[in-house]
Amino acid sequence: MRASFRWLQELVEIEADAVEVADRLTQAGLEIEALERWGEGLDGVVIAEVRSQRAHPKRDKLTLVTVVDGEGEYEVVCGATNVPQTGGKVLFARPGSVLPNGMKIEVRTLGGVESAGMICSEAELDLGTDEDGIVVVESTHASRPGDPIVEALDLRDVVFEVGVTPNRPDCLGHVGLAREIALLYGDRYTPAIAGGPPEVFSADGVFADEDATVDLSAQWPSSYQTVPPPKLPDISVRIVDGERCPRYGAALVHGVKVRPSPFWLRYRLHLMGLRALSNVVDVTNWVLLEWGHPIHGFDLHRLRDSTVVVRLAEEGERMATLDGVERTFTADDLLICDGQGPVAVAGVMGGAESEIRDDTTDVLIECAYFDPRSIRRTSRRLGLHTDSSHRFERGVDPLAIPSVLARAASMITALGQGAAGRTAIDRIALAYSPRTMPYRSARASRLLGAEVEAEESQRILEAVGCVVTSVQNGVLQAQAPSWRPDLSREVDLIEEVARVRGYGQIPTAVPRVHPSWRGTPERLVFAERLRAAAAGAGLFEAVSFGFLSLDDLQRLRASTDTVVLANPLSEERSVMRTSLLPGLMAAVTHAQRRGASEIKLFELGRTFAPSNGALPTETPTFALLLAGQREGWIGQPRAFDFYDGKGAIQTILDRLGRVALSFRQGDPRPFLHPKRSALVELAGAEIGFVGELHPEVVDAVGLVGRAIYAELDVPDLFAAAQAQGVPQARELPRYPAVARDIAMMVSERFSAGEIASALQDASGGLAESVRLFDLYRGDQVPDGERSLAFRVTYRDPENTLTDKRVDKAHAKLGEIARKRFRATIR
Amino acid sequence: MAEAESVRTFEEGLAAIRGAYADALRQAEDEPALRVANARYVGPQGELTKLLKLMPQLPGERRRELGQQANALKQGIQQAFDASLEAIHRRAREAELSGPPLDVTLPGRWQSPGGLHPITRIRAELLDIFGALGFEVADGPEVDFYENCFDKLGFPPDHPAADEHDTFFIDTNGKTSPRAVLLRTHTSTVQIREMMRRDPPLAIVAPGAVYRRDDDATHSPMFFQLEGFLVDEDVTFAELKGVLTLFAKRLFEEQVTVRFRASYFPFVEPGGEVDISCVFCRAWENDAERTAACRVCKGTGWFEILGCGMIHPVVFENVGYDPEKYTGFAFGMGLDRIAMLKYGIPNIKLLYENDVRFLEQF
Repeated sequence: MRASFRWLQELVEIEADAVEVADRLTQAGLEIEALERWGEGLDGVVIAEVRSQRAHPKRDKLTLVTVVDGEGEYEVVCGATNVPQTGGKVLFARPGSVLPNGMKIEVRTLGGVESAGMICSEAELDLGTDEDGIVVVESTHASRPGDPIVEALDLRDVVFEVGVTPNRPDCLGHVGLAREIALLYGDRYTPAIAGGPPEVFSADGVFADEDATVDLSAQWPSSYQTVPPPKLPDISVRIVDGERCPRYGAALVHGVKVRPSPFWLRYRLHLMGLRALSNVVDVTNWVLLEWGHPIHGFDLHRLRDSTVVVRLAEEGERMATLDGVERTFTADDLLICDGQGPVAVAGVMGGAESEIRDDTTDVLIECAYFDPRSIRRTSRRLGLHTDSSHRFERGVDPLAIPSVLARAASMITALGQGAAGRTAIDRIALAYSPRTMPYRSARASRLLGAEVEAEESQRILEAVGCVVTSVQNGVLQAQAPSWRPDLSREVDLIEEVARVRGYGQIPTAVPRVHPSWRGTPERLVFAERLRAAAAGAGLFEAVSFGFLSLDDLQRLRASTDTVVLANPLSEERSVMRTSLLPGLMAAVTHAQRRGASEIKLFELGRTFAPSNGALPTETPTFALLLAGQREGWIGQPRAFDFYDGKGAIQTILDRLGRVALSFRQGDPRPFLHPKRSALVELAGAEIGFVGELHPEVVDAVGLVGRAIYAELDVPDLFAAAQAQGVPQARELPRYPAVARDIAMMVSERFSAGEIASALQDASGGLAESVRLFDLYRGDQVPDGERSLAFRVTYRDPENTLTDKRVDKAHAKLGEIARKRFRATIR
Repeated sequence: MAEAESVRTFEEGLAAIRGAYADALRQAEDEPALRVANARYVGPQGELTKLLKLMPQLPGERRRELGQQANALKQGIQQAFDASLEAIHRRAREAELSGPPLDVTLPGRWQSPGGLHPITRIRAELLDIFGALGFEVADGPEVDFYENCFDKLGFPPDHPAADEHDTFFIDTNGKTSPRAVLLRTHTSTVQIREMMRRDPPLAIVAPGAVYRRDDDATHSPMFFQLEGFLVDEDVTFAELKGVLTLFAKRLFEEQVTVRFRASYFPFVEPGGEVDISCVFCRAWENDAERTAACRVCKGTGWFEILGCGMIHPVVFENVGYDPEKYTGFAFGMGLDRIAMLKYGIPNIKLLYENDVRFLEQF
C-alpha cells in the first residue's frame, strides 16, 4: 500500500518527520519498505505565461510559443495542440534545468528555429501519466510567472511503501494509518475530514424501503444549500444472501458533470500509483485510498428497473467486467445485479455495462460489507485481484459505511457540481456484533517476560479503539473496534500492548532449556557425517531441486514411477525426482561445457516414490558421480573407472566406522554398464550400487568420456551400520606376523575376491589377511588367464610362529589354488 | 722351492696391497666408487682374497705368521673402508644441507580435498549454535498434508495469509481432495508433527527443503529453511529475544545488534521479525557514509534475517496442548539468505546451479 505523508498530515496532527514516523510504524508491524521523496529535482521548472504564438516556418505540427517567466522572454518550439491563449499559464522548464527522467533542457535548434527551454506535459515532469498535451494551469490559480512549480503546485510529499500484513486491513487506507500513527504517538484519533457537498436534496421516498435508510447529513458540515429533489425513479435494493452481504449501502448524486479532476487530485492519485480518469471514478479511488473501503459508482440510468439485487450467481452465468473480459461465474460467486442481470462482481470488479461514462449525470454509489471468504474465493477463481478484492477479502470496517458514503457523495458533488442525496440506503441483513474478549495483564507479563501494568494495558487498548466494558479481579473485558477484525482473543490484545510499547521494551533473557534424554535422532547425525566423509574423500557437494521433468528421468533410464505436481511452474519441473542422477548429470554436462576436466560430485537428498499411503515415500539418498580425468601428480591423468567409484565408496564408508562392505556382480540398473557395475552390500544387506554409466546413456546426454555413478540408500546404509555397531577395541597382537607371497596364473573366470577368501579359509585361521598386490596379463600368461600375486600375513595370536608352521600353511594355500582354481603356482 | 716361491709371492702381494689400499680407499669419491675400490682387495676376485686362497700352499712354519699378517691387513682395509664411507656420508650430508633447496612450489601430492555445499555449511553452523543451547534436531517430510502446513498452524480458511505461500500441490489422482497434499512451503510443518507426537518440554530445530511457486531473480522455487521452537511452562518473549540475540551474535559478530519489530504470521502471536545491524558496512561502527553506500542493507544499516514469535494458542489447541499451561516460541529463517549473507553469495540461483566453479569455493 502506498501512502502519502501529506495526506496523513491532513488527517492527523503529526509532529515527527516522515523518517521518524516510518521508523515507528516499522517497529510496530507496519513495515515501511520504501520511502520516496516527491517534488524534488524540478529546480528551474517554473510557471510561465503565454505571450504569443506563431506557426513554425518549416514544420506543420510545431508551434513557436513565446512565454515569460518573470525574468525574461523565451521563444520555445512546442508540439502540443493545447497551448493556451495569451495569458494562459503553462509549466516551463528553463534552459539548464533537468527533468525527472534525466533529460537536460538546453537551448537547441528544432527545424531550423532555436528553442530556449521546454513547455512540459504531466508525464515529462512525472506529475501524472498524461503525455498527450502540456499542462495548462487554471487561469484562476494564484501562481505568478516565475514561481517554481514545486511551490506553486504544492508538489512536495513523502510517499511510503507500506508492507501491510494480511491481518491489518484497517491500514489499507490513510484513515487507518493516521489512526495507527496517533496510537503510536499516544493520541486518540477522531477522523476529521473537512468539506461537504455544496448542494443537497432530500431523496426521501426515492428508496422503496424507508426503514433501511440513513441520513448522511449528520456527517456533513451544515454549509450546504438544500435544493428541490430532482425527478428520480424509485430505487429498490435487495440482499438475497445476507451471509455473503451482511450490509449494503448506497448514496445518490444527481446532476453531475463528468470531467477531468483538478490537478491536486490527479497528482495525489499519481503519487499513489493510480491513473486519473474522471472526477467520479477518481473520487471512488480517492475514497478507497482514504478509508480503505472500496466503493463502486453505477450510472443510475443504466441500472435496469432501477433495482439492485445482491445474490449468488447461477452456475454458468456470464457478464463482461470493466476490463472488457467476458467472465463466467459459479454458484459460489456473489453478484450485484439490476432488474435483469449482473452488473458487477461483488467486491471484485464492476461490469462494463453500468460503468460511469462521460454522459453520466446521476450516480448510485455503492458501499457494502461482503463476506471476506466469499470475495477471496471469487477473486482467486477469476484470477482477478483488484484494489477492491484485496480489501474486502481482508475485511473492511462494516460500521464505516455511512461515513464513507457521505464522503464520496460530498466529494463527487464538490468536484462535479450536482447535488448529493441526503438519504441513502443502508440495508443491514446481518447486524455487526462486536467481539468482546478478556485480557489479563498478569498473563501478558508472564508471556512477554516483562512487567505490564494493568493501567497501562487499559490505556493502550483504549487507544487502539477497544471499549473496556469491565475490569474485575485483574481481568479486563475489551470490545474490539469494528475496524480490527484481527482482534478476537486475549493474545491478540497482548500483542497490541507489546507492539505499542515496542518490542525493544521487552528485556532479553536466556531460557533454561530441558533437552530430551534421547537428543537428535542418530539417523540425522549419520546423514551429516556421511556428507562430511564424502567431502573429506575429495567430492564436492551439489544440491539440486527436488523436482525435474519426466523426460530427464526417461533419458537417464531412471524410474518414471513418479510423484506428480498438480500445478507445476513448467514441464521442466513437474515431477518429483526418483533418482539423484539427473541433477548430478546436469551439473556434469554444465561443467564440461565450461571445460572442467575432473568432476567429482556428490549429493545427499531425498528421492520420492508413490506409495499406498496418503503421502509418498521419501528416501534420503546418497549419490556420487565421477566424470572426466583423474588428475595425477604432474604426470599423466587417466579416466575415472569403476575402481575409482568403488574406492570412493570404501573410503567414505570407512570414515563412518570400519564397515564390512562387499561388492557383488548383480542385476545392474538400466542406466549402468551391464559388465562394469556392482551391487554394494554392507553386512550382507544390499545398500546400493556403483558402476560405469551405460554407454548409451552417456551418449544420450552428450557426456564427454565415461562417468562413474553410485547411489546408496541412506536408511538402509544407516540400518546396516547400526546393526554392525560401533567399532570395538581389540587387544594389540603380542606376537610378530610373518608375510609370505603366493603368485599364480589362473583363469579369468575366478574373481580375485573369491580366490583371496578361499586362501584365507584354507589357512586354518592362521592367515590374518590376504591382499592382492599384483595383477598381470600378457606375455607369458595364456589367453583367458591372468597372473595374480597375493601377500598373505600369518599370525598366531598366542605364539611366535615357526617357519615350519608357516611353510605348512602356505603349502596348503598353494594346494587349494591348484585344486579349486586350477591355478599354476609361480 | 715351490714353497719359497709361494712365500715370496705372498709377501710381495701383501706388501703391494699394504702400500696401495689406504690411498685407493680414501680417494673414492662416493659410495659406489668406494665399494669398487674395496672389492679390488677384499671382493670375491679381490687381490687379498686371491692371496688368501694361496694359504694352503704356504709352508707350515710360515703359514701362521703370514696368515696373521694377512688378517691384520684385512682389518686395516675394513677400517679404511669404514672411515672412508663415513667421510663420504658426511660429505653427502653436508652437501645436502648446504646445497640448493627444493622447489617447494611444486604441487603437494595427496588426495585433493572436496567441499560441502554452502547450505550444508551454514546448517552445520546453525545446528552447532542451537545445539549448544540444548536444542535437538528433527525433520519431516517434504511432501505433507495441507492440514500440517496451514490449518493446524492457524491459517484461517480462504485467508490471504496463505498468499505468501504460493503452493505446489501434488496430483493425488483422486485419492484425496485436490489440495490435500502439497510440497511444504515452510518447515513449520515439523512444529506440528513434533508437537502431535510428543509432549513438552520441546526444544527443537528443524532444517529442510521447502518449495514455493516463485521463480524470479530473488526467489528460487526450492529453498531451505530452519525452524526452531521451544515449548515449556513459562517460556517468554524475553527468552525468544535472548536466544535469537545470542544466535545472531555467534553467527556473525559479537558487536552485531539485533532489533525485534512487530510482524504477522498466523501461527505466532505476538509475532515479529528480526533485523540485525548490517554486517557488510559494519553498521554498529556508525560510519554514515559507508552505510549510505552499502548495497546489502540499502543504506538502512539493517537487514531482516528471520521471523519469530510466541506460538499462537490456537496452534497448541490444534495439537492438544493446554495453552494456559504451556507457552512457547518459534522462529524460522531462510538458510539460503543466511548463507548468502555469511559467504557473500550475490545471487540465490548460484546455490542450485551446481556450477563446480562455485562449489569448489567451499
